[in-house]
Amino acid sequence: MRWMLPVGLALAACSKGPEADLPSISQARSLGAEWALVNEQANAGKLTKTYVAAMRKSIREQLQTRASSLTQPRSPYGDEIAALMAEPDSAAPNALRNHAGKLKQIEDSLESA
Amino acid sequence: MNPLELTLGIMTAVGGFVDISELVFAAKAGSMFGYALIWVFVLGTIGMSVFGEMSGRVAAIARQPVFSLMRHRLGLKLGLITLAGSLISTLITCAAEVGGMALILNYLTGLPYALLAIASVVALMASMWILPFQWIERTYGLLGLMMIVFALALVAIHPPWAMVASGMIPQVPRGLSPKELLTFSYFVVAILSAVLFPYESYFYSSGGIEEGWGPKDLLTNRVTCTVGFGLGSLLAISILAASAQLFGPINVSPEIPGSSALEAAIPFGRGGLLLALLGMLFAVAGAAVETCMSNAYAVAQFFGWEWGRHVKPWDAPRFTLAWIAVMLLALLIVLTGVDVMSLVEYAALFSIIVLPLTYLPLMLLANDRSYMREHANKWLAKGLGWLFFVIVTVAAIAAIPLYLLTSGGQG
Repeated sequence: MRWMLPVGLALAACSKGPEADLPSISQARSLGAEWALVNEQANAGKLTKTYVAAMRKSIREQLQTRASSLTQPRSPYGDEIAALMAEPDSAAPNALRNHAGKLKQIEDSLESA
Repeated sequence: MNPLELTLGIMTAVGGFVDISELVFAAKAGSMFGYALIWVFVLGTIGMSVFGEMSGRVAAIARQPVFSLMRHRLGLKLGLITLAGSLISTLITCAAEVGGMALILNYLTGLPYALLAIASVVALMASMWILPFQWIERTYGLLGLMMIVFALALVAIHPPWAMVASGMIPQVPRGLSPKELLTFSYFVVAILSAVLFPYESYFYSSGGIEEGWGPKDLLTNRVTCTVGFGLGSLLAISILAASAQLFGPINVSPEIPGSSALEAAIPFGRGGLLLALLGMLFAVAGAAVETCMSNAYAVAQFFGWEWGRHVKPWDAPRFTLAWIAVMLLALLIVLTGVDVMSLVEYAALFSIIVLPLTYLPLMLLANDRSYMREHANKWLAKGLGWLFFVIVTVAAIAAIPLYLLTSGGQG
């Protein structure tokens, strides 16, 4: 069975387009929503500064990884992920949720296509 | 039976039950499928109790460690293949735990990840060198009890208890698309693997031999495996249920291990956050020690070397070198910069594949009256043992196709 792993990974690497980008879109959507939640709780004084800084850094790194793994970076979802990454660390939770919501819409439309 | 020893044993089992994989999969499962995957934790915990009890009983009666059995029961060739598979899967798991520790310390201190990974390994190795077996087990297990904050957080956020309870019944949610059904199946396999990690029974049974268990300890073994593991599993279920309540509705499917700590911060603020992070840190550190020592136990038992922490490190030199090598290799993997979440997924994937081969010889010995005399498996243990063997075999066959078809649970 182990022969399937490299074969599958090779096939996945060869496939291009929105279908292949769906996992990255889904992860970016979740990261945007996590960022919004962190900022919301930080604004409410429920988190430590160190935790908030570390979470924001991790989220940015993960978003960067997802963005660079897109097979079609010049696409509506690529633009949306770039817009999300352009937000400042302490962005308003609603602004971040707005990006996550748009990515969710794109994700849903691609899944139903 | 000493009540204090029993209580400490149960508490240690509770605090030591959860590891980085359960943290990750429970939080993701809850956010993606609500309460519908709770039953997999229940099923996996019953399986873990069955195999844990069996491995403890074999340790107490036959005084046989798992990998010594494996060599005799499977033969040298198949035994070596199983040993190699177990070593790889447990090493990946150990690396995931070390990476998890560094991440959690990063959330607590803000210091660089690589530096914290090195510091974690130094601290773990020092504790393994200095502390006797029982203290290693208890220190991490008892400190891991801070994870109880997740159970308290669940109560505080008032989840729909009827739905939480209904999640304990085996089910597949209605209306899932074929793709979602595959992702659901992937999580079933991943959670089963995370709960039934083979290192847990290697460590548990080797620990029984380290502590000189005999027939008088069978009740302690049974109570620890049922009550201790059961209560420990409730912590993982609390993380899942709180994730379903807090993360699912706002489209968060935690991509970062630190997100789970938000479950305690939302109801309890900074105090809850710190308790959650510290509980996670010690639970994950305990799992790092267990995985590291399990690999050393496996190699030493398979090749018949002197082993154990009941002797001084220099009195079992090859065993000591083995656990030092495992810990350093785990650190090397972490320092390559590989993502902890990916390590967690690989660990679950490889572990479920080797699981049937490690459980089969254990079960055959526990069934064997010539070794186990009146303590051999009775009808209930035999029936449950075979049932779970079939379940883990099916899960092992399905694991790689599901991983590939769902991009590691991403859908």
